[in-house]
Parts: sequence; C-alpha cells; structure tokens
Amino acid sequence: MTSRYGKRLRSIIIGVIIISFFPTLFFGVEQQKSMKPWEYMLGGRAYSLFPDIFEKFLYSMTILLAALLFGLFLALTITFISTLLPRSLQKIIYGFYTMLEALPDLFIIIVLQVSVVAIYKKTGLLIGNVSNVYESKIYFFPILTLSILPAIQLFKITYLLLNEEMNKPYVNVARSLGHSNVYITINHVFRNVLASLFHYSRTIFVFMLSNLFILEYVFNLHGIMTIMLNTKGVAFIITVLFVAIPFSFLFEWIERYTQRLNVHREEEAA
Amino acid sequence: MIKQLLKQPQFLLGFFIIISLLFVSLGLNSIYEGPKEVKFLYKNDGSISKVAPFSPTDIPPFGTDRDGRDLFYMILDGAKYTLLIALGVAFLRLVSAVLISFLYKGQLKNNTFFNDLVQSTLYVPATIFAYMLMIPLFIKSTTDPISFGKMVIIQCIILTLIGIPSLVVTFSGDIKNIMNKDYIISTMSLGAKKKYIYRKHVLPEIKPKLFLLFAQQAVQILILLAHLGVLAVFVGGSQTEMRGDFLNLTAENVPIAGEWSGIIGHSFQEVLTAPWIILIPLGFFFVSIFSINMMISGLQNIISKNKRK
Repeated sequence: MTSRYGKRLRSIIIGVIIISFFPTLFFGVEQQKSMKPWEYMLGGRAYSLFPDIFEKFLYSMTILLAALLFGLFLALTITFISTLLPRSLQKIIYGFYTMLEALPDLFIIIVLQVSVVAIYKKTGLLIGNVSNVYESKIYFFPILTLSILPAIQLFKITYLLLNEEMNKPYVNVARSLGHSNVYITINHVFRNVLASLFHYSRTIFVFMLSNLFILEYVFNLHGIMTIMLNTKGVAFIITVLFVAIPFSFLFEWIERYTQRLNVHREEEAA
Repeated sequence: MIKQLLKQPQFLLGFFIIISLLFVSLGLNSIYEGPKEVKFLYKNDGSISKVAPFSPTDIPPFGTDRDGRDLFYMILDGAKYTLLIALGVAFLRLVSAVLISFLYKGQLKNNTFFNDLVQSTLYVPATIFAYMLMIPLFIKSTTDPISFGKMVIIQCIILTLIGIPSLVVTFSGDIKNIMNKDYIISTMSLGAKKKYIYRKHVLPEIKPKLFLLFAQQAVQILILLAHLGVLAVFVGGSQTEMRGDFLNLTAENVPIAGEWSGIIGHSFQEVLTAPWIILIPLGFFFVSIFSINMMISGLQNIISKNKRK
C-alpha cells in the first residue's frame, strides 16, 4: 500500500516538473533564466524562499482548513434545519442555493469587501480588516469569505445524499421501532452522509484552492498561493510540492478509508 | 434527446438567456455606434458637478468607468467575446480530449501512470497555470508585436490545453468501462473494427455526458476568465497608454478587446471607490453561469429519466 502511494507521489512530482517547464517549452529559455532558484518576486523585489515559505504555508493552510471546517459546519447546520422544514420549503431553499452556487467567487469576495468598507464608513464599526497591512496577519475575514462557497456546495451535496439516504430501508425500520425523525437523522443518517462526503473531498479541495488563490490576491494576503504565482522554475516546483505532498497523502488516506468502508458495507450486505 | 431538451423549462430558460445575450451583442454594432464618452456632468449654470466615474444613479442603468465610457454598452458589446471564448474553448477542449482518449486508449493498456501524472494539476490552480503561460506571451509581444487575431488564437489554444489532461482521464476511464461491456466484446468477435465501435457504440453512450461536460467546462472557463481579468491578463492582449499630465505620467494597460474580464481588470484598482464597475461585469458572469447551470440541471433531469427507463 505504501509503495502505491510512493509511485503516485513520484508521478505527481514528475507532473509538477513538467508543468513548470511548460512556459520554457513554448517561449524559449531566456525569459525564464532571470530568476535565482531560491527566490520569489514580490512588488519588484526578490525575497529568499526559505524560511519564509514555512510561515506562509502555515498561514494559508490555517485559512483554508478553518474555512473548510466553518463551511462544513454551516452546511450541516443548514441541512439539518432544512430537514425539519416541510417539503415545499425545502425545495425553495434548495433552489435558492442552486442559484447562489452560480455566484463567481470573485463576486462574493468583492461584495463582502465593499460592504465592510461601506459599513465602516457609515458607522465607524470595523467588522474585520479587509487587507493585510505590513506584517500583521488577518484571519477572521478571509476565513469567513472563503467558507461561503464551499458551504453552499457542501449543502447541496449533503442535501442530495440525505434525501437518498432517507429512502433506505434501515430508516424505515428505525421509524417503525418508534424513533423520532430527529433522532434517526442525527444518529444514523448523518453519520452515513458524512462518510459519503469524503468522496467529494478532491472536488472541494480543488475548488477551494482556486478560491484561496484569488482571495489572497484581492485581499493582498501573502500566502503560499502568492508565492506560487510569483515564482518560476525550481522555486515554483518547491512551492507546489509544499501543497501537493501533504494533500496527496491526505487523499490517499481518504481513498483507502472509503474503500475499507465500502468493503465493510459489501460484507454487511452479503 | 434534443426533443426531450425542448420540453425542459430550465434548459430553455438558460438557453434563451445565453442566446439572447449573444445575439444582442453581435447585432449591436451594426445598429448603434455606442454612446459618447461623458467625462463631466454639468449643473444648470454650466459649472462641473461631477467627474467620471459616474455611479448607476447618475447615468442609468449601469454608470460609467473612469474614462466616462457607458458600462451598459460595454457589457453588451463585450458579451460576444466572453461567451464565444467560453463556449468555443469548452468545445475545443471536449473535441480534442475525446480524440486524444480514442487514440490513447488504443495504444496504452495501463494508464495509471498517466492518471497520476495528471493528478499534479490538482495542486496548481488553473488560473496560475494560465497566468504562467500567458505572461511570457505578453513579454514577447513587447519586443516583437503579435497581431490581435494571432494573440487571441494563441491564448485560446493555451486555455484549451490547460483543460485537456483531466478531461482525457475522465474520458479514457469511461471508454474503458464501455469497451469492457459484453455487447462490445461480441461486436468485436463478429469482426467489427475499433473505429466502427467508437463511432457506433462508444460515442452514442458518452453523448449525454459530453453535453454535461461541455456546460461544466464553459462555467469553469468563465470563472477562469474573471480571475485572469483581475490578474490583468486580458484575452486579446493590452495596449500601454500613458495617462495623466506630463509631471505625473503613469503607464496603464488598456485591454484591446472589450471583453468582460477586461472591464474588471482595467478598473480593478477602483474597487473601493467605484465598486459598480467591477460588480456589474461580475454580475453578468453570474447571470451567464446561472443560465448554464440551469441548462445543466435540465440535462441532468433527462439523463436520470433515461436511466430509469
């Protein structure tokens, strides 16, 4: 099993190297040579990649993971509340979220930024800083912004999964045993839904990484994605690997976990 | 399938919005030259009351940008570029991915290595990938100029290339599954050629999925374009214009094509002073993505209905 992960990691590293050589392939070497391998450019100045990258990586990942958890929490709460509502209202909520899903990430980022500034101008109340100034780091506002879109997507997924799960025979059995709907949802259905959510981890991750990038750019946060944008060649490969290695490990683990889960289920079914 | 689609109200609504945006945009130039640039608004006594950019309340319906250009006209004019690029690139991506996966399936039996290789694109957002490839193009165009048409073509090729690998992985997986079905094996044993099987059996089976992926790709490209606009990478390239008086000259990159992401990128510095210049084009991105999503859900309804049969 570990050797399979090793092989996969090796191919990922080769892939990253290929990506980093693409520009050179198209446009020749001379443009790419201008930078030293251990540096990244920011505002026309070169900085050394190490040890800055550790701190920036941690900062970005804090925002990403906090946003993911917050988004998941939001999605699950909304799903749970909506299961208690009548069917017609559920449909309306679902339709509303389908509409929200079409919002470009940039739109949400800018609407929030502009409205915070407008509120500050009107009332003098600063809800949260909307831009990084010098070395002080902001957390609250980026996390809030980044969590909205995943929350919408996760809500849609959990809602669909939940409805599918509700039609399974074990729910009927539990109902006939006299358990209340709320009890069944929390104790049985939600657990199974959470396990199925793992299948969507890769999609959500890719989506959030792209959001994180545009968030860092608009809010002027100096995180790992900013470095990724401003590096070439070796430094670029290192930066991507900083993201790729932990997450590919995580996905591998999730894949194995869900496989084991499926095997369990098949055994139970048999 | 097309008959069924015409019975789906969601699909029709989405389709109608996209098509009408496109037609209005394409027909606009031949009827209407566009409003004049308005840089100042005057009071009744002739003194200046306001300077561009004007908000939507000053000049309805959408206001103007810093150069006094009417945003409503710019949006309608730009719709054709943005939508055609998104739809065209999505189409190119799909066609080339299907062709490649047909060819590639015939050659390689074990494709785990390629699949793992493509996994690496998960960790580089498409925006960064596109940016990496387009910036050298701009640098090159400063020394030896590239014509507008050539620039657009090269950029579309780049946008297409970025999306192909992951699509090839999806398709080759699907094709592999279909090729392992019993009826294909019996067709083969009856002496059918691979080409014939692809055309007669595989293609019809993946057809509904092709429509679905086409719409999803179009949405992804729209978002990618919006991101690239913020990074000041414009499709069609940009001209450098000098602004301000001679004491305070600033170079400004002005997008050549009036595409939506160009409007966003051009005025992105004014996001806090004149947010409508950014939010209105983004709103139109939202409308287009929403209508494509409606089309997707109409398609999904049909696919699940057909499966139940």
